[in-house]
Amino acid sequence: MRYSGLQREVLSLYRKCLRESRKKDVIARPHFKSFARTEFEKGIGLDKKDFAAIEFLLRKGQRQLEMYSSPGIKDIR
Amino acid sequence: MLRQTCFAATSKRTFSTKLSSSFPTNTKPAASVLLRPVVRNALVKDALPGAVRVAAFHACGRRAILPPLPQVIDGTANDPAPVPPANPSHGSYHWTFERLVSAGLIPLTIAPFAAGSLNPTMDAILCATILIHSHIGFESIVIDYIPTKRLPKTRMLFWWGLRLATVTVGVGLYEFETNDVGVTEAIKRIWHA
Amino acid sequence: MASVVSPSQTSTIKEPSHNPEAKTKTFHIYRWNPDEPSSKPRMQTYTLDLNKTGPMMLDALIRIKNEVDPTLTFRRSCREGICGSCAMNIDGVNTLACLCRIPTDTKQDTKIYPLPHTYVVKDIVPDLTQFYKQYKSIKPYLQHSAPAPDGKEYLQSKEERKKLDGLYECILCACCSTSCPSYWWNSEEYLGPAVLLQSYRWLADSRDEKKEERKAALDNSMSLYRCHTILNCSRTCPKGLNPGLAIAEIKKEMAF
Repeated sequence: MRYSGLQREVLSLYRKCLRESRKKDVIARPHFKSFARTEFEKGIGLDKKDFAAIEFLLRKGQRQLEMYSSPGIKDIR
Repeated sequence: MLRQTCFAATSKRTFSTKLSSSFPTNTKPAASVLLRPVVRNALVKDALPGAVRVAAFHACGRRAILPPLPQVIDGTANDPAPVPPANPSHGSYHWTFERLVSAGLIPLTIAPFAAGSLNPTMDAILCATILIHSHIGFESIVIDYIPTKRLPKTRMLFWWGLRLATVTVGVGLYEFETNDVGVTEAIKRIWHA
Repeated sequence: MASVVSPSQTSTIKEPSHNPEAKTKTFHIYRWNPDEPSSKPRMQTYTLDLNKTGPMMLDALIRIKNEVDPTLTFRRSCREGICGSCAMNIDGVNTLACLCRIPTDTKQDTKIYPLPHTYVVKDIVPDLTQFYKQYKSIKPYLQHSAPAPDGKEYLQSKEERKKLDGLYECILCACCSTSCPSYWWNSEEYLGPAVLLQSYRWLADSRDEKKEERKAALDNSMSLYRCHTILNCSRTCPKGLNPGLAIAEIKKEMAF
């Protein structure tokens, strides 16, 4: 299946989230993973043609990822 | 001149619609430009009978040619924006040259009429300066409205199109100077006609 | 807080007022909630009695937030024009809400938008990440190789200090940059009036030793020379500065 550019961007963001979660402490890893998953699932009902909304969420996701990937953040609940 | 204004107007319209969905467009002139196609469309619909209703050029209403891209941030929010490499021939030298040409045009334009004499050399210099001046002007319009990052092929098309146009005009002016009366004399004749 | 009305229920919120002498004024404010990303931005209307409101736009906004609609979001901090947080587009002009008087003509409605051509975070809060990144790229700090001779500070004469007047007052509110059409089209590469004014502030500083590097960083077709002296920047600056003049000075310095 071929994905559109926007879909690929969403997937790559999710992959980045998982990759960053692997850099965290072993105990905290599942917390980060499930957090990323719930954040993505919040947007699951979006219309796939609602580009403005998806682009905004991508932007927001990038910013969150940047914040949570800092080594100062050890765990998330 | 007309081409320039048309081009600027259309580009402004496309660019100012770029915020239509998630951010505001509150430049009033742009808004009035945007409204015009809708009004015209309504008029067309009133004038034409239902069967012959052909989609007019502006029938699509508001549609951005260059819609906004999602925000892209190079690196993290704390990294500085990248600094492009220094290139004086497109920067300071270019600007200085442009200003010298612009300033030089003033005496060159006045001189033949003030002196009242016609000198083919002066005429040729005037033509060449105007040509360079307008080339630089159009060049900066292309740089402003056709970003290389988004439309590399269109940018190249316009770039070479402009060069071609400049060369054509240059050849035309040369022909006019050598085989006809020359620019200054032509203006003089039109003035007295 | 008198009453809490969620924006989804209504688009007009009136202040309960029975005073016949009330000077009610209507404010149309741009609203967009990022928590509902699929919703479109819209204008919400508020009416306030000007007799009970402070003289400035920011007073009106704070009053709306306190008494009418706590969901209205805007940045504000110092309320006296020194922090640059409350930059927004009021009646078509980019300005600081705290320095903008509410027009007393109650027949005219006031419209408030975020700064034009910016990505919106929420309501009238713009995203200025690119603006700050560009500011960082001009190295806005004193660059000096040797330590100060007296071990404390670098000195300059009164005349040299005078050159910085009209430059150091800039509070980076982004009003000028977001009013510049050239910056609208090319905000990726063109630095914009505010950042160029700051650039000149460091070029004009007698204590700075990296002038050539600073000039070289601007010496390309995009960073500086997309300025076409439109001068919207100088017209809109809420602090009365002249970014257009500063840019012209940079161009002159770099010319020969």
